[in-house]
Amino acid sequence: MTSLTLSGIRKRFGKTEVIRGVDLSVDDGEFVVFVGPSGCGKSTLLRMVAGLEDITAGELRIGARVMNEVQPAKRGVAMVFQSYALYPHLNVRDNMGFGLKVRGVPVDERTRRVGEAATTLKLDALLDRFPRELSGGQRQRVAIGRAIVGEPSVFLFDEPLSNLDAELRVHMRSEIAALHQRLGNTMIYVTHDQIEAMTLADKIVVLRDGLVEQVGSPRQLYERPDNLFVAQFIGSPKMNVLPLADVRLPGGAAPAAAASVGMRPEHLSVVSPGGGAVDGKVMIAEYTGAQTLLHVEAAGHTLLVLHEGEAPANGSRLGLSIERANLHFFDADGRRAG
Amino acid sequence: MGSLTQRQLRIITQICWTIALAVVAIPFVFPFLWMISGGFKSANEIFGSPSLIPREWQWQNFLDVFTYQPFARQYFNSLYIAVTVTALTLFVSSLAGYALARLRFAGSALVGLFLVSALMVPEEVTIIPNFFLMKWAGFIDSHWPLILLPVFGPQGIMATFLMRQYFMALPKELEDAGKMDGLSRFGVWWRIALPMSRPALAAVAIITFLNSWNLFLEPLIFVSSLEKFTLPLALSNFTDPYGMPLWHLQLAATSLAVVPILIVYLIAQRQIIESFALSGVKG
Repeated sequence: MTSLTLSGIRKRFGKTEVIRGVDLSVDDGEFVVFVGPSGCGKSTLLRMVAGLEDITAGELRIGARVMNEVQPAKRGVAMVFQSYALYPHLNVRDNMGFGLKVRGVPVDERTRRVGEAATTLKLDALLDRFPRELSGGQRQRVAIGRAIVGEPSVFLFDEPLSNLDAELRVHMRSEIAALHQRLGNTMIYVTHDQIEAMTLADKIVVLRDGLVEQVGSPRQLYERPDNLFVAQFIGSPKMNVLPLADVRLPGGAAPAAAASVGMRPEHLSVVSPGGGAVDGKVMIAEYTGAQTLLHVEAAGHTLLVLHEGEAPANGSRLGLSIERANLHFFDADGRRAG
Repeated sequence: MGSLTQRQLRIITQICWTIALAVVAIPFVFPFLWMISGGFKSANEIFGSPSLIPREWQWQNFLDVFTYQPFARQYFNSLYIAVTVTALTLFVSSLAGYALARLRFAGSALVGLFLVSALMVPEEVTIIPNFFLMKWAGFIDSHWPLILLPVFGPQGIMATFLMRQYFMALPKELEDAGKMDGLSRFGVWWRIALPMSRPALAAVAIITFLNSWNLFLEPLIFVSSLEKFTLPLALSNFTDPYGMPLWHLQLAATSLAVVPILIVYLIAQRQIIESFALSGVKG
């Protein structure tokens, strides 16, 4: 197990700076998730940690050692790729043992480690199959197995579940969580799926345009987002944001600097018109089983409301109430106010 | 026709297609059969009888081929030169193709352009400068020009581009995985890129072997000793003292010359057709 420190990390491709100064520390055994929209630089940052991209400026330490110029295989990290990146000409056994073979690990040791990883990941019966003969989930398990056998200090996952169907994604997500509990290694995981981020992470790093917007636990990010971007990126459906003037605030005045107010769809309750923070008209009601997602037009904005129970009819007028503690205030620049 | 079942219709269509294809194949197959038949006929019978079946089977022709000139030696020359050229071309073109596809280095575009422009110069134009180059190197009347010119000439460049295109299509993540596993750049090429490029390697191997096997102009210009002749040159050398072709020997020798190609074709028929499709080169 190993800690990881990124200090002033920058990456430039030609004239374009894609990582614009990232400072981050990852503790021993921590599960850190990089999350952000497409093109925010999360995969590039991960590849820089792996050694697959050069670091233009800044310092990367794994443990106590500066790793900027160290070859990928000598950093003590292993990576699981989005497309699995299994060697198509090798069977599962050889795919998993390939790295050990390159490093000159003796055959006995190699066989033992591959066998153990295969047992852990329930791949014993598939060892002689080729990647083309495996399902998506099995390929992903082989890719994870290939990472495990190297006994790395740090695991790096680059959107490993994005090629799987929804059901398998949920299953593999729990397998990765279980793997982290069992191995206790430091893990860095890149995803654009914030459910994955929330469920897996000890710590989430939200990135935008090559900069860190906020670092914190899933709860911190959900309950106290530092700015509008994080507030709207974390949480599904995304937070509603209205100008302060359009909301009848419950429980007194807003903080002095506040210009807008955020309300999560799950915190809004349907009440009679005039009885809540805002009034509106139901435009669409999407029934999802346990809940209904209401699209409510209020003060020229469309608000999303997660409603339990019988949904109001389309076109009906209603009020939406919210507890004071669940309001998020932001200043004119989008930073948290109060 | 309305009473025909689907199955009967399919059979009739199949028969019609087979007949049509057989007719179309005659111009291609007939010269080949005529060549083999001629190899078994006497010199007089070749043009004396239109039948493909010899009146008397002249097995002796196939023995005379070896006594008329050092045909076994010439056969071996062609074989070892073609194998060497193929092996060297595979090595050079795959390395160069990989470098052009994957390495970012100053002037890589210029190198590519330079190679393409070299392809546009007809071989006949470069043969004289090449002759002087080989003469300067002391390679006249040796097999070196027959090995070096195809490897580093237009054929080698074609092979390099073929490999480059194939390497460019290989997923980059596999190479990244190789680097994570501890492979050097050379290791990635040797242990990942090459094994995954078997179809392209097969295409290059087949085309290069055929080209080398059929090479005529270069042996004609660079080789003068009979025992250093390659097959195409040797075949044109079965003549009487007046320079007229000895058809029965020429046809027997040609039949022997196509044997390796025929064997390779029968073994790897599908691969060869795919190779030509892949390379965009016609046979």
